[in-house]
Amino acid sequence: MATVTLEHVSYTYGVGTPFGIRALDDVSLTVRSGSITGIIGHTGSGKSTMVQLLNGLEKPAEGRVLLDGKDIWEDPKRMREIRFRVGLVMQYPEYQLFEETIRADIAFGPRNMGLGEEEIAQRVRDAIKFVGLDPALLDKSPFDLSGGQKRRAAIAGVMAMRPEVLVLDEPAAGLDPRGRDAILEGVCAYGKETGATVIIVSHSMEDMAAYCDDVIVMANARVFLEGTRDEVFSHADELLSVGLDVPQITHLMLMLKQRGFPVPDGVYTVETAASALRGLLQ
Amino acid sequence: MKNIAFGQYYPARSPLHSLDAKMKLILAVLYIVATFLCKNLLSFGALLLSAILLLLMSRIPVRIVLRSMRPILFIMIFTAILNMFFVKGQTELWSFWRFHIYLEGIYSAAFILVRIVVLILATSLFLTYTTTPIELTDAIERLLSPLRIVRLPVHEFAMMMTIALRFIPTLTEETDKIMNAQKARGVDFTSGGLISRARALIPILIPLFVSSFRRADELAMAMECRCYRGGKGRTKMTVTHLRMRDMVALLLMVCFGAGILYLNRLGIGYTL
Repeated sequence: MATVTLEHVSYTYGVGTPFGIRALDDVSLTVRSGSITGIIGHTGSGKSTMVQLLNGLEKPAEGRVLLDGKDIWEDPKRMREIRFRVGLVMQYPEYQLFEETIRADIAFGPRNMGLGEEEIAQRVRDAIKFVGLDPALLDKSPFDLSGGQKRRAAIAGVMAMRPEVLVLDEPAAGLDPRGRDAILEGVCAYGKETGATVIIVSHSMEDMAAYCDDVIVMANARVFLEGTRDEVFSHADELLSVGLDVPQITHLMLMLKQRGFPVPDGVYTVETAASALRGLLQ
Repeated sequence: MKNIAFGQYYPARSPLHSLDAKMKLILAVLYIVATFLCKNLLSFGALLLSAILLLLMSRIPVRIVLRSMRPILFIMIFTAILNMFFVKGQTELWSFWRFHIYLEGIYSAAFILVRIVVLILATSLFLTYTTTPIELTDAIERLLSPLRIVRLPVHEFAMMMTIALRFIPTLTEETDKIMNAQKARGVDFTSGGLISRARALIPILIPLFVSSFRRADELAMAMECRCYRGGKGRTKMTVTHLRMRDMVALLLMVCFGAGILYLNRLGIGYTL
């Protein structure tokens, strides 16, 4: 259980060079404790920079990053503890596997935490259950696994640290639909069972609509929209105006509305759309 | 890691930028030779003056050039001090216990200092600051091409260099990412003894090696898909020719060398 808050955070890449880029500009937001929050935006909207601020990999140029109300940069020497509390799965995490076996790789994080062997073994078992990895794979080399399996192993490696906040940067990028659903469901299961706050960065509105409680929309280094899933998707036309996509079904409903049909706003699942349309037809 | 500027190429419009890369390579070599020809106060003075002139001509901010000199500052000071204390001469200026400082030592230290500075300055001004890495490898390939007669795979060398240069930023970025990923899993690079720090590098190096091999494999495949067959019969997309300005630059450089030789013969003051 942990709340993540950003207070007037700004970040610039390449300070002092002619190529400086403002990646975040006065961003303030709060991620509810225990929620599954999606951060969405175009490439270059500052999403990836933001996640690296959350566990202190980058330091904000201005503003503060708070974990349960405490500035994570208060004592930089204790940053490692922060990193154990805020687990970050970077983009394409399968490229960071390095141990001889999957088991050892998943155990790497917990071992750095200084846990006992018993506890580590338990956490490895739990973690692979969340991501749906076959226990028979545990003693294989990471390089013998398929791409999707490697991805799951890498995510399990962060889950095994039992972070209070689990941050995933594009966890489903480049996977087929089935692999994507499996991973996102595993991540949500982790959140539900441990009570952890889960932050998923994605550019897929469909995923956001399917898995997240809250949605934060980033555009041009700022927070464009922030709220519950219902609130955000009721602003579908605004999302489209900044060039962001909406779920296909929302798109359809928006088009129906433009043609003059009295359909409700903020529909983002096929089920609600179906019942709304059925009501309309009767 | 993000602050590592790749290479030092500084885009600007200047006489040095506009010279042909082949000629710049030749000029750099000639200038280095001239640096080693200098023997006395007059010729070293001329050398320093010419280096300052080059710097101004290149239109690269002096601040940037000075900053790049910082890493060699230690070597410069070290050599200067060694020369100051260990060069023996006739005019003793100061002595303390077993140390004697001679006027000749001071001269020698100053000369060596100028020589190092000018060497670094000249090569970076002629080559890295004003020439893009691609232009440079291209020029090396062209200049070495006569060696093909003795079956030296010149094109392959140049291609390897180009690829290596091309992948430096990619690998830097990759290293950065992997480091961050492992830091997120609690790797600590900054504390602990030498051994534990070295051990902390394993989780970085293994993924980095793996991905380098993967990239090399993919690149080889992609090149083959585009029918790359090595240098034989391959033409260049951009062919550069020496122009009038290149010839003028060469002439100036030769005159400069001759001038240095002349100044050496005037023999004023200490001679190295």
